Amino acid sequence: MRPSLAERLRAIVGPDHVLTAPEDTVVYEQDAFLVARAHPDAVVLPGSPEEVAAVARVAHEEGVPLIARGAGTGLNGGSIPVRGGLMVVLTRLDHILELDARGRTATVEPGVINADLTAQAAPAGLFYAPDPGSQSVSTIGGNVGNNAGGPHCLAYGVTGNHVLEMEVVLSSGEIVTVGSPAVDPPGYDLAGLLVGSEGTLGIVTRVTLRLLRRAESVRTLLAVFETIDDASGAVSDIIGSGIVPTAMEMMDGVVMRAVEAAIHAGYPADAGAVLLIEVEAHHEALPRVMGRIDEIARRHHPRLLRTAEGARERELLWKGRKEGAGALGRLAPSYYLHDGVVPRTRLPDVMRRVQEIARAHGLVIGNLFHAGDGNLHPTILFDPRVPGMLDRVVAAGEEILRTCVEAGGSITGEHGVGIEKREYMKWVFTETDLEAMRRIKRAFDPAQRLNPGKLLPDGPAPAYGMQPGTRAWS
Amino acid sequence: MELTPGERGTGDGGRRDGRMRELGPLIRDLRRIVGRQHVLVEPEDVIVYEQDGSILQAMPEVVVVPGSTAEVREVVRATRAAGVPIVPRGSGTGLAGGAVPADGGVIVSLARLNCLREVDLRGRTAVVEPGVINADVTKGIAPQGFFYAPDPSSQAACSVGGNLANNSGGPHTLAYGVTTNHTLGVEVVLHDGAPLWLGGSVPDTPGYDLCGIFVGSEGTLGVVVQGIVRLMRARESVRTVLAVFDRMDDATRVVVDVTSAGIVPAALEMMDQTTIEAVERGAPVGFPRDAEAVLLVEVEGVREHTERALREIQDICRRDAARDVRVAQSEQERIALWKGRKGAFGALGTLAPNYYVMDGVVPRSRLPETMRKVAEIGRAFGVRIANVFHAGDGNLHPNILFDMRIPGELDRVIEAGAAILRACIDAGGSLTGEHGIGLEKKAYMSWVFTEADLDAMARVRRAFDPAAGFNPGKVFPSPPACGEPRRAPAKIPAGLWV
Repeated sequence: MRPSLAERLRAIVGPDHVLTAPEDTVVYEQDAFLVARAHPDAVVLPGSPEEVAAVARVAHEEGVPLIARGAGTGLNGGSIPVRGGLMVVLTRLDHILELDARGRTATVEPGVINADLTAQAAPAGLFYAPDPGSQSVSTIGGNVGNNAGGPHCLAYGVTGNHVLEMEVVLSSGEIVTVGSPAVDPPGYDLAGLLVGSEGTLGIVTRVTLRLLRRAESVRTLLAVFETIDDASGAVSDIIGSGIVPTAMEMMDGVVMRAVEAAIHAGYPADAGAVLLIEVEAHHEALPRVMGRIDEIARRHHPRLLRTAEGARERELLWKGRKEGAGALGRLAPSYYLHDGVVPRTRLPDVMRRVQEIARAHGLVIGNLFHAGDGNLHPTILFDPRVPGMLDRVVAAGEEILRTCVEAGGSITGEHGVGIEKREYMKWVFTETDLEAMRRIKRAFDPAQRLNPGKLLPDGPAPAYGMQPGTRAWS
Repeated sequence: MELTPGERGTGDGGRRDGRMRELGPLIRDLRRIVGRQHVLVEPEDVIVYEQDGSILQAMPEVVVVPGSTAEVREVVRATRAAGVPIVPRGSGTGLAGGAVPADGGVIVSLARLNCLREVDLRGRTAVVEPGVINADVTKGIAPQGFFYAPDPSSQAACSVGGNLANNSGGPHTLAYGVTTNHTLGVEVVLHDGAPLWLGGSVPDTPGYDLCGIFVGSEGTLGVVVQGIVRLMRARESVRTVLAVFDRMDDATRVVVDVTSAGIVPAALEMMDQTTIEAVERGAPVGFPRDAEAVLLVEVEGVREHTERALREIQDICRRDAARDVRVAQSEQERIALWKGRKGAFGALGTLAPNYYVMDGVVPRSRLPETMRKVAEIGRAFGVRIANVFHAGDGNLHPNILFDMRIPGELDRVIEAGAAILRACIDAGGSLTGEHGIGLEKKAYMSWVFTEADLDAMARVRRAFDPAAGFNPGKVFPSPPACGEPRRAPAKIPAGLWV
């Protein structure tokens, strides 16, 4: 990197907040997409929106790629600097600027941790609804970039449904405000466009979010089934009956055994699948709603239906679900967490197909996912040291996503596209569709410098399984 | 074309003749595409399309009514290739002048594309053409226990395409959100006539949310020829309360108190004394004329939930000094209570020959003071204002009553309207809750957006329609120029909706 660029950056954010030494920048070569990595040329940690804008202007003038990063928990490689360049880490912008309990909104900086916002809002009886599995570490900015979901999105919707207004730095360094606190913002819905754009259109520096009131009562039902088939049938029928639980999560036997070994949450380790069904309502309404769910679940041959006794048991059941992915580390050195969507009605046959794919490739696949949304997370366990195994993992993953698309679904429910799925965009979009997205990209980032190589299948395709310190692209 | 108040807008006949000669080749093409009877060029035919539900009007040059998406594609290709602007139009019930052909050109009416193509109750989606009437979507599926949620008061006449263009809301937006929350995908025709699908039947499709950009874009990016909308399951129980208040202040306090108690009603509507008077004159439903305000509160859900919410709402109303609280005891009584609300706009015609509907938004907590401010503005400008609106959303609809025949009155009305919107913005609110910007409010866009913000929107416009030939002169502020229509109010037809 040219010294003049580093000097200009230091002048903006201060010498402590520009990292250029390889031993410092290596920390930023990877996110939670464990099979790829690439090294940034420099890392900047701005301390204010104005500094972000000034950094963007410098990058603009110098023609350097600019990659925004939150906590680095993204699962699609979206923050990996595949073409080098300047990484803008937003973790210092971590202030909750305003919490308006009466208006039920919060205005926050992008580096605020998801769970911290809910913790701050809790005394007022409020919470921030999107709850990705990573919520104790992931940032609001990262959630916005990926339009993150979570178990409770079944009832409350994904991040985009909770974003009212944002301040965004464009590639030119201009600062613009998009959206509005009103129900129907005037003009084009640019806030909706920016949410989920994975850092390719601008860098978010401030977000006004909707907060929700905590429900009066919550019940969590654990339903244990001998087969995934029975559990899937129950999901389809519960939703079909018109009941909308706040969450309906499924875990298969592979995941349950890992979770039990790790935290002893009380899941039956020998069952085929469990459903975790949560309902929020007035306490008068709960017994009958739970009764109806119970009745429907009974039609699908459950081994056990148990309502969590008290908050402690409830929290333990959820802890098992939230830490499910982490617990898989007990079964294999690495895993590849997929993210596909299918229409709920197709859930039983797609789940059968996933198991067939696992068998065909000689792989073990664990499933823990948002069944109520039809949002699958088949997790392929593997050992990267076994020669050729990663190729089989990638091939099996592709087949799973193809199955989702063929079932009328999609290649991602909440994790985004990043580098991981950019080539698969061609499966779901025609060249004309993609060209429409490119028009938007060119409109906001004509020089293609914001998070290059992500989201759209343009330029050289990614190569997985790189050695540390090498670029994803040659 | 320039219009002056009171003039019908046919302008100088000679000039129109010259322009029509210029358009001759295009008109021949259009006739070939859609058939002669579906191309209107005579002043006495096209005059029907000179206005929508706003107080603005301008004469179109040509009106085309295509009968298929393929015809729309060809119409767009031919018209835009000739360099002529296109104004898409649904039922013409819009309230912001969005369908008024400010720069002349061709109006493409989507009224004949009115087929409900596919209903999938298991997947809870419907594929609709843009000319389908909003209420007809629900009508077909109500017997099976499903409904389409966005319910603008014009729903018996407005089209789904128009709703998409304006991101329409309605009384039940409070619980269910606006049109964009119920739109999964749209097929659009771009400026070169090319079709494009955005979104799809699966929510949250990967990549940029282009479907969301088209919803609410007011016909400035392309013509919607198909939409995939979400259907919802009807709730087990629906209960409705009418509360009568001696003082407006008490009624607005109830709105704040109900929502801060954590109750999310399906609808929370308010009508003030002037509106009550109009309703009682027009189609009486038994509202007390001396009350300052009535609130209509509806809750939906499982029976146990609605029963308790109903009790809580009644308690809050009584605590906040309601004079009378009535609960509809039957479906018939419920429909009767809604009748007053739904017929309110039409009834305003009994008070004045014209009215100007505003559509501001304020944070709910600022509702009481904003309502006082609206009353002050009415007094200061010497205009009468009737309020009937979605109080739960903080979405105001002050209706300024006037008589356009009185010289100078229209100017005062427009100034009072601007003052009301200014007050909404000063209270931390916005220019529009559900009616869109259109012609009416484009000059005010610079009150809420900086030049850089507006330029960000203009980038999207240029990305899809570089020549800006779709619905030109709308949404974006522009300095008054010779292409700008002057405000030319007309008597609003009875039964106008909000």
